[in-house]
Amino acid sequence: MNARTLSVIASLAISLAAPVAAAQEDEQVLDNVVVRNRLFEPGGQLELSLGVGLPVQTHLTAHYFLNAGVAYNLFDTFAIEARAGYAASRHTGLARSISESFLNREDKQITDELEDLWEMNVHGVAGVRWAPIYGKLSLVSDLPAHFQAYVWAGGGLGSFQRNSVIQCTRVVDRELGICDDRSAPDDRGSANENYWAKETRVAPVVSAAVGFRFFVLGKHGVRLELRDWVFRDAYRVNLRREDWEAGRESGEPASSPGFTHLVQFDLGYTFSF
Amino acid sequence: MRPILSLALLVAAPALALAQASGGQSVPAPGAETSVPPPPAQSQPKPEAPEPPSSRPEPIAPQEAPEPEAEAPAPQGTEQQQAPVLAEPTPPEPATPEDAPVLAAEAPRTTDAQQQRLVHGAPLYNPNVSVHIVQKKRFADEGKHEFAFFPATVQVNGKYTNHAGSALQYIYHLHENFAFQASGQYNWYSNESDFNLELIDKVREQAQAASSLLLVWGAQAGVEVTPLYGKFAFLNDSLAQFSVVLSGGAGVGATRHLIRPEVTNEAEGGERFTVPARFGDTGTKFLGSVGGGFRLQFGESYALRMEVRDLIYTARVDKVDGCNLADFEALEAARAANQDFSTLALSGSCNYQKFDGVDPKTKKNYREDIILGRDLVAEPSSDVLNNISFYAGFSILF
Repeated sequence: MNARTLSVIASLAISLAAPVAAAQEDEQVLDNVVVRNRLFEPGGQLELSLGVGLPVQTHLTAHYFLNAGVAYNLFDTFAIEARAGYAASRHTGLARSISESFLNREDKQITDELEDLWEMNVHGVAGVRWAPIYGKLSLVSDLPAHFQAYVWAGGGLGSFQRNSVIQCTRVVDRELGICDDRSAPDDRGSANENYWAKETRVAPVVSAAVGFRFFVLGKHGVRLELRDWVFRDAYRVNLRREDWEAGRESGEPASSPGFTHLVQFDLGYTFSF
Repeated sequence: MRPILSLALLVAAPALALAQASGGQSVPAPGAETSVPPPPAQSQPKPEAPEPPSSRPEPIAPQEAPEPEAEAPAPQGTEQQQAPVLAEPTPPEPATPEDAPVLAAEAPRTTDAQQQRLVHGAPLYNPNVSVHIVQKKRFADEGKHEFAFFPATVQVNGKYTNHAGSALQYIYHLHENFAFQASGQYNWYSNESDFNLELIDKVREQAQAASSLLLVWGAQAGVEVTPLYGKFAFLNDSLAQFSVVLSGGAGVGATRHLIRPEVTNEAEGGERFTVPARFGDTGTKFLGSVGGGFRLQFGESYALRMEVRDLIYTARVDKVDGCNLADFEALEAARAANQDFSTLALSGSCNYQKFDGVDPKTKKNYREDIILGRDLVAEPSSDVLNNISFYAGFSILF
């Protein structure tokens, strides 16, 4: 093997190594480019949204949200948003069961109201949305889905109502647990009015969410998020049965009632202008 | 002659290697997913082929490379035509490739050479395109073993119960998107929820025994699939690859039930002791699970996992610490008569010792718990419980 042969082999090796290095560089480029070249850049765009929210978990109340929102994307990753909506709310079957059985539980003369019974209805919040993550998801071969992952935080006001499951101000039938004007004892739906103690208020509400926004066909989007509505609870303690059943105010407000969380799964649609 | 041979080798070698690199089939491609764009369509004539520019630069290509014709059907060897483009940063073929991005027509056309450069057949430097963006998986799973440790598993649907624990999972990735898995979980905290205790305290109501059954540990085996994967950028700087994982399994789990919450016991002489909550063994139950989440991969060997799993277990409470209703009736009668429990004709599984004696530390008389145990089994209850928990952990692949 002479020097000339060695030089040929060396040249060949270098020539083979160069494109491999180039290919590796290209792979690096591929990885870097795949998500940095954003097909959807919402910065500077106005955005409208509609959404429905379903309860993740229900204890004594259940809420079903319908929201509309308007947002302005200051940057690709940052937006300000205002939302308003209405939450249809109801007592769960557990709450109704408790209310009916407690009417006849006369061994419990002094008690406290249950926590987390406020139901939110009309509400409006304003907040900020930070979407630091932009990604692409391979749904099926050659069909990528572009998405943003975001966190949302804000606050506003909500109107609330509270229907007690303990304080019946006019007992109709204690054994059957009836506290309304139903025409048939076994037909709850025939009642026009119930006599459970009611309260209403308007109170501050704080909301936070994490979610994904999937871009669809440029201006459209689908939003999936987990949202928590937080507001201060308020209830009375040391209630006396003889007082509430006579229609008199009883007990005193709880000193540290804590906060109520309504956790929702939201499904929404967004349109960007 | 030798110099000519050497020169020929020098010219031919990079052309061959580049053809391999851009040809796709020989690119190191971990995983079942294609690491390169799919091959062009089979000789489909383009309905509207663009007019070639009048002043197209001559491509730098080996002599044997065929000259592309815009009007002709796309040839099989498109990769070979792109090979010299990779080698030279000069403007590539202006002819529209088969896999050209759909949105490119809507976006402003670019004439920048760098943006027109093709990488693995795709114009990835062009910000207006969306083709072939996630096909490339940097890390393959097929044939790998994975150990996952979840330091924190927290129940998120705790209506009557609360659970928190840790879990271990072993996964063998049989294929890129399919794996076998086995896992074990121990709940170092399992107790009734504050909501249930509130109901007991305020309205004298509580969940049925079966509805508030607590899971102590569980072991199961099953499968895991990763139907989706993707990549994301965090603030434009950090790139990460993630997979959506779905899992399912079946196994067994040990359960218990709260007999008595923590109470304060006042002993003779007025001394007060805090008596910890007492739980009764309610046996081993069938356990199933379904779940889903994300696996965020860092490098070849490490990943973060965030999952939500629903542990489903059958719950029927007709025995507590092995004692059924008849046993508790006999124990209660013996307690009232101050009789020795060992003389009773109890069922063989009844662990009556747990309801006998006095705790030397708290002075709590365990016989006082007999009535509480009897209440649990007085009305045998059954339920199918869904224990939905959030799992956060990390895993090692090898």
